[in-house]
Amino acid sequence: MYNFVGRSFPRHDGFAKASGLAEFTFDIEVPGMLYGRILKSPYAFARVGRIDTSSAEALGAVALTPDDVPDKLFNPRLLSVEEDTYKDWRVLAKVPRYVGEPIAAVAAPTEDTAQRALEALRVEFEEIYDPILDPFKATSPTARPIHERILRGGRWVEVRNNIAAELRYSEGYLETEEERSSVVVERKFHVPRRYHTQLEPKGAVCKLEPDGTLVVWTTTQTIHNTKILISQVYGIPMNRIDVRKVPLGGGFGSSIHTNLVTLIAVGLCLKSRKPVKLVLTREEDMVHDHVSFEFYMRVRAGATKDGSITFGELENVIDVGAHQVQAYPILGTSLGWFISLYKWRAVRYYGRSVYTNKVPSCAIRGYGAPEITWAVETVVDELAEELKIDPLEFRLANYRGKGEIFWGQGPTVKSVIRSDGVPELMARGSELIGWKRRESPKVKTGRFRRGIGVGRGFHTSGAGGPLSGAIIDYTGAIVKVNEDGSVDYITALQDHGGGTLDAHAKIIAEELKIPPSRVRIVWSGTSTTVYDVCTHASRGVFAGGEAARRAALEVKKKVLEYASRILDAVSPEALRIEYDRELDDAAIFVEGAPDKRITLSEVARTAWQRNWGSISASVSYRATVAPPSFTVYFVEVEVDTETGVVRPIKVVAGADVGTVISPELAAGQIHGGFAIGWSWAVGDEVSYLENGVPAHRMSLADYKLPTSMDLPSDDDFVVVFASTYEPYGPFGAKGLGEAASNPVIAAVANAIYNAIGVRLYEIPMTPERILRAIKGGD
Amino acid sequence: MLSINAFNTYRIPQQLKYFKPGNLQEALEILESVEGAKVIAGGTDLVVDLKYRRVEARALVDISRLSELRFIKLGDGYVEIGSAATIREIAESGVVKEKLPLLAEAAESLGSWQIRNLATVGGNLCTASPAADTAPPLLAYDAELELVSSRGVRIVPLGKFFTGPKKTVIERAEILRSVRVPLTPRTYGWCFIKLRRTSFDIAKVSVAVLLRVEGGFVADVRIALGSVAPTPVRARSAEKLAIGLKFEDAVRVASERVAGDISPIDDARSTAWYRLQTSKVLVKDAMWRAYERFLGAGAWR
Ligand SMILES: Cc1cc2nc3c(=O)[nH]c(=O)nc-3n(C[C@H](O)[C@H](O)[C@H](O)COP(=O)(O)OP(=O)(O)OC[C@H]3O[C@@H](n4cnc5c(N)ncnc54)[C@H](O)[C@@H]3O)c2cc1C
Repeated sequence: MYNFVGRSFPRHDGFAKASGLAEFTFDIEVPGMLYGRILKSPYAFARVGRIDTSSAEALGAVALTPDDVPDKLFNPRLLSVEEDTYKDWRVLAKVPRYVGEPIAAVAAPTEDTAQRALEALRVEFEEIYDPILDPFKATSPTARPIHERILRGGRWVEVRNNIAAELRYSEGYLETEEERSSVVVERKFHVPRRYHTQLEPKGAVCKLEPDGTLVVWTTTQTIHNTKILISQVYGIPMNRIDVRKVPLGGGFGSSIHTNLVTLIAVGLCLKSRKPVKLVLTREEDMVHDHVSFEFYMRVRAGATKDGSITFGELENVIDVGAHQVQAYPILGTSLGWFISLYKWRAVRYYGRSVYTNKVPSCAIRGYGAPEITWAVETVVDELAEELKIDPLEFRLANYRGKGEIFWGQGPTVKSVIRSDGVPELMARGSELIGWKRRESPKVKTGRFRRGIGVGRGFHTSGAGGPLSGAIIDYTGAIVKVNEDGSVDYITALQDHGGGTLDAHAKIIAEELKIPPSRVRIVWSGTSTTVYDVCTHASRGVFAGGEAARRAALEVKKKVLEYASRILDAVSPEALRIEYDRELDDAAIFVEGAPDKRITLSEVARTAWQRNWGSISASVSYRATVAPPSFTVYFVEVEVDTETGVVRPIKVVAGADVGTVISPELAAGQIHGGFAIGWSWAVGDEVSYLENGVPAHRMSLADYKLPTSMDLPSDDDFVVVFASTYEPYGPFGAKGLGEAASNPVIAAVANAIYNAIGVRLYEIPMTPERILRAIKGGD
Repeated sequence: MLSINAFNTYRIPQQLKYFKPGNLQEALEILESVEGAKVIAGGTDLVVDLKYRRVEARALVDISRLSELRFIKLGDGYVEIGSAATIREIAESGVVKEKLPLLAEAAESLGSWQIRNLATVGGNLCTASPAADTAPPLLAYDAELELVSSRGVRIVPLGKFFTGPKKTVIERAEILRSVRVPLTPRTYGWCFIKLRRTSFDIAKVSVAVLLRVEGGFVADVRIALGSVAPTPVRARSAEKLAIGLKFEDAVRVASERVAGDISPIDDARSTAWYRLQTSKVLVKDAMWRAYERFLGAGAWR
């Protein structure tokens, strides 16, 4: 069917990365460059007085204080439309609101001098307040306001009771539905803060071109939004800022927004008029820069005797920390995931994001879906158990599938589901895991007990839709055929390391019928690309891939047009194009006329020689739907009931991603998605001491991630792809990155319950917690 | 705690002189004469401590390449391991695997491949972490340490070496030359178990057991634990009560009584409660595994 789609090819950056040649932000060196360091607040909530920079300057450093940067409120994330953008950040804080909040910065010719200069800064704190760390205490009317007023778009809003944002929603008649229900289950869940553990700590390198243009290399999932934010904060015209794309060592949500280091590095560069490099250490990155959201959820749901779901209620309190990145949007996506999971006949939702004096939270892989899915899939399992209905049948009868409305990213992003592999994945997965041998936990005895669990999840493919909602989502691509027939692909879309751009190259190759190796992925910047919003929301292949395909299609039209001139065909429509294996090139031909055949390279050469002009296309593309990719995971675990240690025995991970563009990379996403989900389910968390200092887990020595030794071997990890086709995706493809991790906590939690007969409503389900649960508390 | 702004793991903030002595004598002289000089072997503890500013040093004396310290030797009735022998060398040594299988098992579980390539047994013991993985097996083997300085040599039993978390009896200008383990002609079963958060981790609890059973009764048992007290410890009272009992009874008694030999605390890796619960389980598991190996002795080769 396809020549390249669905087949595996070497990654374009594989050799460079494996051999260490790839240049990340950290590796960039500019002659004359200064090294920056950030002065972080040691207090969780304070007011800064005088900052004495003289000793630091005496060492030859440039110092940057709040007075040196524009006093402008902003939100580092620019995905929401302006009127839904809540702004409460400053580049450097006079009122630091979490331990680690940047107060000042220095830059010096060597790293050691920079460090000494940093330690030479003298800061007077006018006031030190008791930090507010608990989101329930924070909303007490007597609690000190963490922010008094903030901007929503251009409008000032008062912050009341430290509530950063709120969202209420209801549909249907909940009371009536509850009356109809024969079972109702209500549970409370807690999800702690977690660290993203992306491979690359945040950093930026800035320099000024001779013409004054600011060039920035930085860890970002979006170069254009970084450009826009720098422009908004520093008042520089956007064509005087070139944010260059550099390889990114993972994001997982931690660079959907522009990292504060970027803005501070810009400040240092503008003040010193010298190139500046500013990179966080691993410890700064994990302790002071970003964490995931913390959720306190209460779910109530009901079902009738015959097993149809009636209503669902979700109360969702999120501790967002000291500033807003997505405090408001996360309330909407949480609701969207909740609504889209099952066919609730009535829904009630109350979401509240609360400020506390902790590191600002931001999206982590799944953007609320893994957490909501865990809570809902737990309650759904419990409903099925009470009704004595098989949990798989119960799910199949009640989930939102083909023809239903799916909320891609909250209330303003809705579309109809057109491809749905859930029934197939349920059937194949249950067969492969041996669902039939699953027994009730009541009959299990002995020290080591095994359990099987299922979790069904999904994620959106992007945040597009038929109407322009509250989220910006469009992308662009430039495809250019060189004079020898080689192709340059120029896009702003960032590849986090998962091979998104390799998928694009393959899509372009498929459209043009040339080998993917002929398509070069050009490292470009904001000056040379058209807008792309961000690589997030699992939109890289679905939205970006479709833009690339459309650009390739336009190019193909030109190629055919020129070929018809050369071949003397009546029109381009008379021509066919195919991949010629022998020539390793696209061949354009007239069927039945063997002498009427020419390669794409020859067309390109001829167009050049005869002055017909360049063969290229620039496309801007907005997806009009955001289809869900479904994932159904079956997990078998073994619990040591004497130590509480849980071991994964087998995983059957089913994914409906439409057409699979790159099978190995897609399987890799699924393995990685399981690994991170496993770490959320049973691994580690970020917690704080009473003074707001992060407790214990200050480094990777104590924030533990599963290694390959802790995960199932390849033989015990089966990946299943559904045979679906998404009509709106490039060659039928949908997204995957987040869907891959979304059902994991749910499946693992249900498996642990099936092993030991006790449910835990708090993650991570550490051996300590499991042992206490087994022993009935202590 | 260190001020957060003084914390920069990209740099070692002190200016350090680096010495690479040609022999042990020279190393001792430098250590004696250079102020603030510290021994460095693999550096896997020391470099971290320097970056975290938990340790101040002016100079480093690198002993990692001294052949006088980097050896594993089978003597008459003893095995001697030079302090600069790496954990990987120990884990892979034929002599250690045959004569001190308990130590080999523990060495294999230390850190990662990369860490084992650098880390030394001397560093592991001199750091004196309660979680040091080579300590419980060496305690069970009744190992002795040879400490040298320009003033001479002294022998210290490992049981008297640790004085507290990160504290030992070693003096500033002393170097641990070697670890000497007496061999017994008798056969022992052995087992080292390390409970950890992931497979690459410092122990939450570790247990080392050497066991000899005669006619179904415990003739000798040695139990040592890590991460459950200020120093790695022998469970002397549990051992005493278990010796002479039928094996099954000995397991029950030792596993119950180990609580009296340890004093676990809460830290980043675990809680005191959990450590206490699992110490009991691990003692039981390790004794059973050691027993199986004892019965199959000879077969493990
Ligand atoms: C990522 C990581 C994982 C680790 N995992 C483990 C683990 O699983 N288990 C474990 O037990 N440890 C672990 N460690 C700690 C460390 O690797 C070991 O303790 C190691 O054995 C230390 O040996 P070294 O040669 O590197 O010591 P160094 O760092 O060179 O020295 C440590 C200390 O001992 C002193 N010293 C060294 N040799 C001598 C000597 N001959 N005489 C006198 N003083 C001496 C030094 O002055 C220093 O104070 C880990 C460390 C890291 C970084």
